Amino acid sequence: MKSSDRFSRMEEKGFDLSQAVAEAGRCLLCHEPPCSKGCPAGTDPGAFIRKLRFRNITGAIRTVKKNNILGGACGVLCPTARLCEKECCATGIDRPIRIGKLQRFLIEHSWKIGFKPFDADASERPPRRKEKVAVVGAGPAGLSCAAELAANGFQVTVFEARPEPGGVLRYGVPGFRFQTEFLKKEIDDLLSLGVELKCSTPMTGDGAAEKLLQQGYRAVFLATGLWKPVRLKKDQRDLKGLFTSMEFLSALREGKAGELSKSIKGKVCAVIGGGSVAMDCARSAVRLGAADVYLLYRRSLAQMPAEEDERTETMNEGVHFLTLNQPLGFLADSKGKLKGVKLIRTTLGARDSSGRRKPVEVKGTGWSLPPVPSARSAYPSLKLERGGLIRAGEKDCRTSLRGGFAGGDIVRGPDLVVRAVRDGKTAARSIMSMLDQKAGA
Amino acid sequence: MAKKPDLSVEFCGKTFLNPFLLSSSPVSNSALMVEKSFEAGWAGVAYKTVVADNAPIIHPSTSDRGLKPNMRDIAYLKKRWPKHVVIGSIMGFRNEEWAELAVACTDAGADMLELNFSCPHMTVEGSGAKVGQTDHLVEKFTTTVRKVTRLPLIAKMTPNLADMNEPAMAAKRGGADAISAINTVRGISEVGLEDFVPKPNVFGKGAISGYSGPAVKPIGLRFIAEMAKNKELNLPLSGIGGIQTWDMIEGLTDYMALHNVKRVKDLVGKALPHLCETGDFDLKRQGISSYDLDKCVGCGQCYVVCRDSGGQALEWNEKKRRPELNEDKCLSCMVCSFVCPVDGLITFKEMPADWKRRETVTLG
Repeated sequence: MKSSDRFSRMEEKGFDLSQAVAEAGRCLLCHEPPCSKGCPAGTDPGAFIRKLRFRNITGAIRTVKKNNILGGACGVLCPTARLCEKECCATGIDRPIRIGKLQRFLIEHSWKIGFKPFDADASERPPRRKEKVAVVGAGPAGLSCAAELAANGFQVTVFEARPEPGGVLRYGVPGFRFQTEFLKKEIDDLLSLGVELKCSTPMTGDGAAEKLLQQGYRAVFLATGLWKPVRLKKDQRDLKGLFTSMEFLSALREGKAGELSKSIKGKVCAVIGGGSVAMDCARSAVRLGAADVYLLYRRSLAQMPAEEDERTETMNEGVHFLTLNQPLGFLADSKGKLKGVKLIRTTLGARDSSGRRKPVEVKGTGWSLPPVPSARSAYPSLKLERGGLIRAGEKDCRTSLRGGFAGGDIVRGPDLVVRAVRDGKTAARSIMSMLDQKAGA
Repeated sequence: MAKKPDLSVEFCGKTFLNPFLLSSSPVSNSALMVEKSFEAGWAGVAYKTVVADNAPIIHPSTSDRGLKPNMRDIAYLKKRWPKHVVIGSIMGFRNEEWAELAVACTDAGADMLELNFSCPHMTVEGSGAKVGQTDHLVEKFTTTVRKVTRLPLIAKMTPNLADMNEPAMAAKRGGADAISAINTVRGISEVGLEDFVPKPNVFGKGAISGYSGPAVKPIGLRFIAEMAKNKELNLPLSGIGGIQTWDMIEGLTDYMALHNVKRVKDLVGKALPHLCETGDFDLKRQGISSYDLDKCVGCGQCYVVCRDSGGQALEWNEKKRRPELNEDKCLSCMVCSFVCPVDGLITFKEMPADWKRRETVTLG
């Protein structure tokens, strides 16, 4: 198998109709469903599972799509075990309902049967608004905001710097977890709402938002995501064989698997970090033919942010987890080629502000791992507060700029797709209430 | 260890290894099928209804084969499985046919005959369930068969009528030795939503047909109980329809051992003394539902069902996700216990005689 083929299809199978109906049959149909409260984007699993259970399948699809324009993507990618499924009352009987899988099923089923949840009678559509809104960035936050506004009659244009829409869904997640065809269909659903999408149209630089406001857009939503690599030390910036996770994963999604494989096949690789992105990098390195892949993490398994099933899958694929090891720096030869990682053993100390026990270096235990190419998980949490993040209100996504709103990773730092979806919806409502006030005044 | 319970039963003078028989239905269509069931532990079979050759019949209402091959199968089963009971099920359209079929089954070695007065798929007047609904035909055909065979006769009844005692009494007058019930309930199982053809879809056409499965068991119990209570009838009864739980031999053996029941006979009719009219209920005694909230998983279905169809006696503690019972509003309808997914969480608790329930709130 060509290494690029290993990145083109989602490996986890979705439910079919009979599996989905059987799984929904386990739902306890809770009063004030706690799963619905557990969804940051308000996708309302309590409602769509109830509909599915009573065979109102089209209604269930409509519920997902109306509440979450990226319901399919979230169904595939959400860490459901710590969101909706964590709240599920069926856990008290045996195990939670597999909500993510049901959500994904509904969206895939809508494509299979050709059901278009947004095809409504013209009379049911809200009146068309003349106000134009600009959304910068076609990632989860931007798309969610655009969908909400368009569904309410506004004219929305999404500007995307890259050639394809989707943001991290397109360029930041490996294809074996979330494939391009799936994303394309989900974006087609969005376009059916009448959203205008302009790709390869970067809106960056000083005053870009102000310019859009001057061009007649009544509001601008900034959701550009976080694409800049973490600032590496100057002398490390150009090390051959050192990648940031975004460089690495984007390159894969841009079809450069063959090229990357050349520098990784048969080599020892290290991935620094213990989150979902680190798992994606490590699993990608396995698929590119690395001889050994190490995952370097300064705390222990229990503190890893990645979900348990992701961790298990990663370990099962043969990645070596080196916990309680803090990377100190990189070793390179005279030609600037990466030769190894300097490490020091740690122990776990008292809890830090994240509630997790803090790693403490153990003196005199420094050592080095001799890997060659190394991917580095993009955004070690320590450096988040600094550098390039936009400040915006949690409840209204307002920025210091009048008419300017922002959300997603560019505000939160690296975070879940489903929270970006929520930001998009929040921003859209905030924009609508601002424009309604102006229209009324 | 206590002695293993005895599952054998006597019915119409024959001993059955256990009380489980295949009914006359698609599962007893050939000796090959029946033999597999005997190997699995079934004690006998009411062999799939045979009809006279060239009768206007729709499979699977009756056997798909001619009379001769079926009689050879019955003879084979009796020879190969002498301890198992083989009942020949027959259905004629005219007196002569009933007689011919009865003689054929008797000659083939069947232990008993079941007279199928209840096939739900016959369209010709004077056949199938239309016989079971017409007392004088039941009596006439039973008499005909009685004259040509000495084998025990079981009349199989249709539930598609108001009172089964009338045709059962007619069968008795004709000479039947026992009654079996119920055959299937006339129904439409489903309508195709794409083509509006009732299912099963036979090239674009559907029909009202015989419905079986767990939904018919309560109907069967009712008819069996009504006949068991009829002192005038006083015939042995064979219950059929909708039975699907228990790994039967193992399940019944364990049940009898646990409850210290030695013979199956001791269980027959045990529920009858408790079966009353609703007017006989002691309405002076009262109670409420009682909640063991340590077992609660917090789904809140009890709250919803009580609010929407019960005594509106529950309040919902949103924070704890637990129901809170206002005892004096509880109707003791127990509908909450039907929807609760946790076994044994909600039980009935009797209240003292002087306990007073508060009435449901009146609006306006």
